[in-house]
Amino acid sequence: MLEARDLVFSYEGTQPILEKVTMQLHPREIVLLTGPTGSGKSTLAKCLSGFIPRMIKGDYSGSVFIENKDVSDLLLSEYAEKVALVQQDPDGQICTLNVGDEVAFGPENYCKDTKEIERLVESSLSSVSSWHLRNRSTHKLSGGEKQRIIIAAMLASEPDYLILDESSSSLDPKGTLELRDVLVAMKENNLGILCIEHQLSAFLPIADRILQISEGKVIETPQNKTFSADIPQKSSGMIRIENPEEVIRIENTTFSYGKQIAVNQVSLILNRGDFVALMGDNGSGKTTLLSMIAGLLEPSIGKVFLNRKSISSFAKREIAKRIGVVFQNPNHQIFERTVWKEQVLGLEVLEYDMEENLDNAKNVLDAMGLSPYSERNPFSLSHGQKRRLNVSSVTLHEPEVYLFDEPFIGQDADGRRIIAEKMTRRVETGGICVVVTHDPTFAREFCNRILFMENGSILLDGSPQAVQDRLQEIGKPEYTAQGGQSE
Amino acid sequence: MSTRFGFVRREGTIHNLNPAMKLLSLTFLMISILVYPSWVLSGLLLLVNLVSFRAARVPIRISSNRVRFLVIFSLVLLLFQIFLTPNGTILTYIVPKIGNIGPFIPITSFGLERGLSISLRFLLIVFSSMLFISVTNPTLLAHALTKFRIPYRYSFALVIALRFLPLFDMETNLVRMSQKSRGLSSEIGGLKKIIRTIRYTFYPLLVSALSRVETLSLSMDGRGFGYRPERSYLQESTWSKTDYLVMALSVGLLFFCFLLALGMLPELSAIL
Repeated sequence: MLEARDLVFSYEGTQPILEKVTMQLHPREIVLLTGPTGSGKSTLAKCLSGFIPRMIKGDYSGSVFIENKDVSDLLLSEYAEKVALVQQDPDGQICTLNVGDEVAFGPENYCKDTKEIERLVESSLSSVSSWHLRNRSTHKLSGGEKQRIIIAAMLASEPDYLILDESSSSLDPKGTLELRDVLVAMKENNLGILCIEHQLSAFLPIADRILQISEGKVIETPQNKTFSADIPQKSSGMIRIENPEEVIRIENTTFSYGKQIAVNQVSLILNRGDFVALMGDNGSGKTTLLSMIAGLLEPSIGKVFLNRKSISSFAKREIAKRIGVVFQNPNHQIFERTVWKEQVLGLEVLEYDMEENLDNAKNVLDAMGLSPYSERNPFSLSHGQKRRLNVSSVTLHEPEVYLFDEPFIGQDADGRRIIAEKMTRRVETGGICVVVTHDPTFAREFCNRILFMENGSILLDGSPQAVQDRLQEIGKPEYTAQGGQSE
Repeated sequence: MSTRFGFVRREGTIHNLNPAMKLLSLTFLMISILVYPSWVLSGLLLLVNLVSFRAARVPIRISSNRVRFLVIFSLVLLLFQIFLTPNGTILTYIVPKIGNIGPFIPITSFGLERGLSISLRFLLIVFSSMLFISVTNPTLLAHALTKFRIPYRYSFALVIALRFLPLFDMETNLVRMSQKSRGLSSEIGGLKKIIRTIRYTFYPLLVSALSRVETLSLSMDGRGFGYRPERSYLQESTWSKTDYLVMALSVGLLFFCFLLALGMLPELSAIL
């Protein structure tokens, strides 16, 4: 049993994040740990996996026991043989270029002989159903494959306990379901698994216990408790605009990265009042399509029109005034040194009157829950807060079109509500929102159109009800509100 | 991504050469052309380099922005030298004599030679490094370097640098795209604007890199990295006869250039 007793931790000079946390993880069980953004889930994961206090310093007290033995004296490398941590960003965790090498990395460090390493590579890859990937380059894998390889790489050191810190956040519904099956199989192999998740619904069916962390304490939550939905509930009905006016038209566009075709002969019209959920597997071309709509990638074939004029005839700033884009990784789109400067960057660059917009900028920042941090460095914010800052600063001048790429990753219920409300308002006032999302319930509740992409083409385009019914029929229930994550 | 930069997995003689030998040969090549900066020799070696790209079946993608930038930059270097070197035999003038006006800006033999020497050496250094990265499996390189008693912590630093090159390359593109989407453009009017442009690019990249470093160090240490002073390897690098041959050639080149630089081979220095 992996057991935390009275864990207290604070990063130097700050409020304690964990206050006397006591919890157990048994072999052959899956425990789900949940809690709002910034509640200390990742900190607890780092304590349980030995990085705190060995590698990450702070004010720490309490102890961790494994099989009733205090393990405070173990070195990190000795501890890592017992407990492994899988983090959120799969790309950042891979240190070699080949799947086989990546899985062999752990056993190599523990100086196992070649035969034993080969055995461990085979058994670990097989246990995550990825033996067929052993000779592949790590950078050519999909997000889901990468996450499975990282799990295999951790299993190769033969730990008894595995901790997954929001490992499903970058996965599409198919990848999430596959991860779920992998976890069940590992549990059968006697592993104790702690799964930290925002997207509870996907993992609820396989959880043996659910723990909730709040205000530095961990409490057990009854299995039958109904969790508030992962997405906020919407009060008003579906938005319909009379006599829709075309804003964006895409004519027969194709885009390829080298020989690989990412978007294939897509034609599309976006009208005022369109609230579009852009869905599909990872790698199906959603982000590339979004970038073409925003005029950031020029199609190899075909044309994109904004307000009936070719988008390439617009200056960069003119496009930025009309289209606001929020990308997947918040770090790539924060440029200023304080939250406030970042908030008003768009006004400055696009030459709006600063005085006139000052109050609005403050109000919007306040609505995003970021006012208390206005003088902080934006990079010191949490992932969820950074994303809210992206949304806030990109949309401050109210562009007609919002293009958001998976804005809900890393957001707790409050964050989701704030962003969803922002989009709804834009659509209600005659704008357009296109949101890349894997959340079928959100698509059904909020959007009035779903575009479903497969292999670079638009497979389905229609009302949420019609598209989800069709997805159910063609054997993709994970994308529907009935069969997907939000069941 | 079309601009991906890093190891290209292939089966072939150049790929199968010992990685440490390739690194040593690259170093010797660079020392050689710095010791003896002749444009003829650099040109010949550049030709060998380009043939090696072909032989290794690694695409050089002349059309890619990076290669285009390198070629344009080397041309700028060449032109600068031509404009700024007045000594030597005058070959022709950039602005010819028109009536009583001119001629202006002479092209001299010395300026041309110096320009070619600098631009060809620049291209050679960059392209041979690109070739090295494209044909060297970083994991094998790590193993090969430990044979030279380099502690594996250091050789892995190199592996990780090579592993993350394509990732940072991709991230630079993403940062540029997000700048474009906000209407930010590269401004060069005045020092303040230049600094701002640099900050808008490097700041997000640095932060993203640092967060990756933290994730990676947790991931590596969490798999027992540094458990013992030695570690075992599933894939091991080997030395073959071809390796000894290529090594001998690059050591030979180094000696040859030293002899040329010291003026001990006057007949050859006249040609090369």
